[in-house]
Amino acid sequence: MRFGLFSGLALRTLAAAASLWTCATAFASDTALTHPVVPGFERFFANSAADRVLGGRLLLGELNCVACHALEHDAEKAAISVKQAPVLDNVGQRVRPEYLRAFLTAPRTVKPGTTMPDLLAGVSASKKKQHVEALVHFLASTGTTRDLAVLEQAVQRGEALFHQVGCVACHQPRRGETRPLATSVPLGDLSQKYTLPALAAFLQDPLHVRPAGRMPNLNLTEIEARDVASFLLRDLEVPGNINFAYYEGAWDKLPDFSQLQPQATGTAPGLDVGVARRRDQFALRFEAVLTVEQPGQHRFFLSSDDGSQLWIDGQLVIDNDGIHATTEKDAKVQLTAGPHAVRVDYFEQGGEETLKVEYQGPGVSLRPLDYALTREAGQTPASDRGCRVDPALVQQGRQLFSSLGCASCHAMKSEGDTVKTELAALALKQLDAEKGCLAVTPQTAAPHFALSSQQRLFLGAAVEAAKQGPFEPLSGRAAVAHTLTTFNCYACHERDRVGGVESERNAFFATTIQEMGDEGRIPPHLTHVGDKLQPQWMQRVFAQGAKDRPYLLARMPKFGQENLGDLASLLKTLDDQPSDPLPATNQPPRRLKNAGHRLVGDQGLSCIKCHTFGELGSTGIQAISLTTMHQRLNEDWFHRYMLNPAAMRPGTRMPAPWPDGVSLLPGILDGDARQQIHAVWMFLADGPQAAVPRGLTQGAMELVAEDRPIVYRNFIEGAGSSAIAVGFPEKANLAFDPHGLRLALLWQGAFMDASRHWTSRGSGFQPPLGRNVLKLPDGAPLARLASPDESWPDTPAKEPVGVFRGYRLDEKGRPTFLYDCANARVEDTPVAVETEEDPRIRRTYRIEANSGEGALYLRAATAGSITRDGDWYLIDKDWRMRLVSDRGEPVVRSHNGRQELLLPLESADGVTTITQEYVW
Amino acid sequence: MFRKLVVSLLVLASLATNGSPSIAQDSPKEADYYAITSLPIPDGVVLEPGGLTLLPEGQLAACSRRGDIYLVSNPLGKPEEMKFSLFASGLHEPLGLTHRDGWLYATQRGEVTRLKDVNQDGRADVFETFANGWGLSGDYHEYAFGSDFDPDGNLWVVLCLTGSFSSEVKYRGWCLRITPEGRVLPTCSGLRSPGGVGMNAAGDMFYTDNQGPWNGACSLKHLKPGKFVGHPGGNRWYEATDALGPRPADPQSGSRMMTEAKKISQLEPPAVYFPYQKMGQSAAGIACDTTGGKFGVFQNQLFVGDQTHSTVMRVYLEQVQGHYQGACFPFRQGFSSGAVALHMTPQGSLFVGCTGRGWGSRGGKEYALERLDWTGQTPFEVHEMRARPDGFELTFTQPVDPQTAAEVKSYELSTYTYIYQANYGSPEVDGTKPMIVKAEVAPDHRRVRITVDRLQPGHVHELHLNGVRSAEGLPLLHKEAYYTLNYLPAAS
Repeated sequence: MRFGLFSGLALRTLAAAASLWTCATAFASDTALTHPVVPGFERFFANSAADRVLGGRLLLGELNCVACHALEHDAEKAAISVKQAPVLDNVGQRVRPEYLRAFLTAPRTVKPGTTMPDLLAGVSASKKKQHVEALVHFLASTGTTRDLAVLEQAVQRGEALFHQVGCVACHQPRRGETRPLATSVPLGDLSQKYTLPALAAFLQDPLHVRPAGRMPNLNLTEIEARDVASFLLRDLEVPGNINFAYYEGAWDKLPDFSQLQPQATGTAPGLDVGVARRRDQFALRFEAVLTVEQPGQHRFFLSSDDGSQLWIDGQLVIDNDGIHATTEKDAKVQLTAGPHAVRVDYFEQGGEETLKVEYQGPGVSLRPLDYALTREAGQTPASDRGCRVDPALVQQGRQLFSSLGCASCHAMKSEGDTVKTELAALALKQLDAEKGCLAVTPQTAAPHFALSSQQRLFLGAAVEAAKQGPFEPLSGRAAVAHTLTTFNCYACHERDRVGGVESERNAFFATTIQEMGDEGRIPPHLTHVGDKLQPQWMQRVFAQGAKDRPYLLARMPKFGQENLGDLASLLKTLDDQPSDPLPATNQPPRRLKNAGHRLVGDQGLSCIKCHTFGELGSTGIQAISLTTMHQRLNEDWFHRYMLNPAAMRPGTRMPAPWPDGVSLLPGILDGDARQQIHAVWMFLADGPQAAVPRGLTQGAMELVAEDRPIVYRNFIEGAGSSAIAVGFPEKANLAFDPHGLRLALLWQGAFMDASRHWTSRGSGFQPPLGRNVLKLPDGAPLARLASPDESWPDTPAKEPVGVFRGYRLDEKGRPTFLYDCANARVEDTPVAVETEEDPRIRRTYRIEANSGEGALYLRAATAGSITRDGDWYLIDKDWRMRLVSDRGEPVVRSHNGRQELLLPLESADGVTTITQEYVW
Repeated sequence: MFRKLVVSLLVLASLATNGSPSIAQDSPKEADYYAITSLPIPDGVVLEPGGLTLLPEGQLAACSRRGDIYLVSNPLGKPEEMKFSLFASGLHEPLGLTHRDGWLYATQRGEVTRLKDVNQDGRADVFETFANGWGLSGDYHEYAFGSDFDPDGNLWVVLCLTGSFSSEVKYRGWCLRITPEGRVLPTCSGLRSPGGVGMNAAGDMFYTDNQGPWNGACSLKHLKPGKFVGHPGGNRWYEATDALGPRPADPQSGSRMMTEAKKISQLEPPAVYFPYQKMGQSAAGIACDTTGGKFGVFQNQLFVGDQTHSTVMRVYLEQVQGHYQGACFPFRQGFSSGAVALHMTPQGSLFVGCTGRGWGSRGGKEYALERLDWTGQTPFEVHEMRARPDGFELTFTQPVDPQTAAEVKSYELSTYTYIYQANYGSPEVDGTKPMIVKAEVAPDHRRVRITVDRLQPGHVHELHLNGVRSAEGLPLLHKEAYYTLNYLPAAS
């Protein structure tokens, strides 16, 4: 029963659990044990001449030494920022018992670099095993983990997120060939530790378990957290315990599954709607076996969005069918001991999708049904863990948790009470810096941290300092620097030339707008930040995180206001700059705001060319929104910044709006620069309520041919990057592709909307504005064939099919396209013709053939079907074309499953005139 | 050594007693020397000039980013006597316009087109594709700028990279020459995001490139046929042509330009950097003063627009060790929108086509067409700045006050360079503050030789001449000069 107790859900975990015990000892003997990693210490103190007491103080907090070695005075306690160990209240729901066992047995082997000491280094192997077992039972008594399969798309999204949002500022990148960095906070083998739901839940709210803020909250959405977790657990293999069949279709109640063919079948680890291939319009049937141990009344709960049903042994137990938001229904049923067939049917029409089934019964507390199910009768369900912890071992573990000192660092509630530590240790100032944890070879009874020699040196200095008198709280610059070190703010931010992104991690900081350079991808420097930002805004950022820079992919995480203490007010006090008095004005606020509105718009300083305005994107790069400036910035800083942005933010793209303090807009407020800056501030102070600046909203720009055709050459969808669109006054329009030498599009009604290309930078392809767009196939218009059966030559997409020579306009402004193809010179004149019905395009070719090998043909059409009726041809039973030539007889031939309308130009050295009319 | 000028002392004294407000009022302004005239674009016409050329008949032709070409009659006269007429439309964002033998040559995104009004109705009726041997994927950044004809009759086209970062289709990131017959000659590689192309007085071609990957700051680069000018993103097209010989080795990211130039024989360093923010942010069109004095005293110097700052900068070039290098100076600010297209007429009028669309610019207008004319007054400026083995030789547009010009504390020199890297742009790095050891004023008071301890080859040398006064006691109209010292002249 050694491992039977925790028969694993995960294959890999099971294998790992079976081998970890021996594995651990093997590792311990041949792997150098890594010292605990404290990034700020590694970066700024280790191997440096930095202040040893300061570095030691950092370690006293980060290794939580003071949890055991008490400080005497309250003021002194406040001087050390303590990294509280994870809260273990519900650890059984988060961490696999197998991992707990392995980790407690050999913490540094299982997670090199961990700050958790080995508390059992001094006891015999057999006793250690007993202690660990008892502790594991105690910890696992707080709940069970639940495995879910990792989906490949989520892994890919998660990989991108992990390397973009800021995880790799502190953790080792898992892409490319970054060498292992001393400052990387270790993660260990996460798939041994966590299930997917557990890690996702942790990532969504890390402060819940680790309240000290060293792992801040990146404000991941539920899906993002699951994606990142999926990436980190991508090696996890979760065997299914439930058979499922997946169907696609649109239903408003559960379909008759017997009439449907499943799109996919397989096994799922749990009743997981995530096995569906899409989010809407699908159905699932889950089938499994529930083995009941104690007969009696069982109660089931079925909750879903949209509809679902629970069937047991062929009987409908709960009917929760129909389209609805998450709705729970329940039912009681008597079950005999032994296996029962369970079926859950589910469908989703649109919107959110959820499915949850729980049950309780004799000897079974309320829990998800998923865990109790097996694919076949006779298998051991995963639910056996958690509920089979040995009460005696739990009690013993609780005792050990208290007596060994686990409770000194870890908060843990058991049966409603916080477990108190019973470990007594010397006060900090009574310690001998050469002994105990700090000894080169620690005494057997002491916790083993595996400190590096550098860490012992700095901690020793701090212990010696403690003897000299109580620690004074740090103040001013030192306090700020210490906080930025402790919380590893320096991993992203530079302040006063200290810190900033490490060079090896630099490449992982990315932007959505490359042309913004480093400013667009590296988090902003914090030098003088207290001068720039309002203290309330800083507090808000500390408490909530921030995503105010749309271009920056790294996110400012939430550290928890209480963790950062008075950092905002400290920064304000330190950085505050004396300012010139703000300009006196007797202008009424309305006039100032109005002037500000003009200055911000496209006829003023064009701030909106780069800055967004709330939800409205700018027409250029997407810089920080104008609607939050008044909340973020100090007014006096704003005034100084406007006068010389580059001086305060070196390398910024922000141009000086008032170069050398001089206004370039003398017509506004008499050209007084300071008054103008004041006016902009007044305007910004209205925040999202401010009037939208001019130049941000764009309507359509319809091009209308009045008396002459309009030629519009641009990126046109369906006609290529050099397309020449022609809009005729008759309201028939065409787009000629000069690369493919072909008419690419014909349409009627409105011609083109030029706003895409004539406002902002003009990015992207624009489709026709009008109606009834006929797309004509590509391929060379002319070719020389050795025989009438020879295939029409393919033209590679990137090679021109001939030589485009330009066009000329007739008296009415109508173009004739000029090109050479297949050794013939073509003049191609398409014009619009008004009719009583829709306008048509009539195209006249003049083709002058030069001598060449093979017979010259014009391909007038290629389509799925071409039916001839005199001079008229019905194309694809969809539209009609007339083809008339002064020479040669058109032929319709079938070739490679398509039909082609070819006109032989038999007189290969003469001139042929052809008319082609399109009626569509 | 030098005779004290009583006049200058008197002027200084009077300035001092009058107090600072009157100094501000009396200080010479750019507008005193070079006047901006706005051409009256009619209401309802949107003209975002990308190319300008003065026709033999006296009209100014201006092509617009919206694809039109307008003719302006009487462009050298008074605004109220000018008339705008539409000559052509339907071109694809043309950014280059010139003429020859009765044809207008417009460089569109995908081709060079020549246009003519055959039936003499005032509108072009022939649009002939003159050359089109490069690719266009449909990315807005794939701009093509066209030059005037060089002495051999070639038109030079500079092609921006796809998205300004990569080269998805043929010859993106290259300079091509179009021969008089319309043949396409691949000419240089390594371009990133050009903002204009133009010749110096000797007929050598230059273009401006913009801050970004492999470009620490905006710069003016010499397009010497066969050379690689710095951004390796387009070098895959060496597979498509032998015209430039073997593909150059890729530069090492994070290095310095001159370190790589020593290793990569094809690499031609920028002739002049325009330090970011100090000079501008988006270097654009180029014009040369070959008017023989009609535009003032800056004969044969180059004038370069800046789109963000809406300014025209001035560039003095010399050749050192066979390479162009030199200095840039602020020249004229205050255009109504981003200065992109520059055209110098033989009469000495500099036309400046301005657009602020897509990239914000100073001036408050979305577009403008303006003319810059010399008023006949010569500003007190550094005229030329030449490198010497141990310092610089400065010439001035007017005699200097020999006392202030001879004081080393009248000058302040700092140097820096840029990281040559695949990442976007670069801060100023490797900074030094060399000492001005001495400043010697030549007997004609037009030249000052400063000796520096010591020069930093490979660096921009930023010189501030705050203390130098003219013989009349005036400060320099622009006190800053930025010399890009790639190569040191040999000691003579």
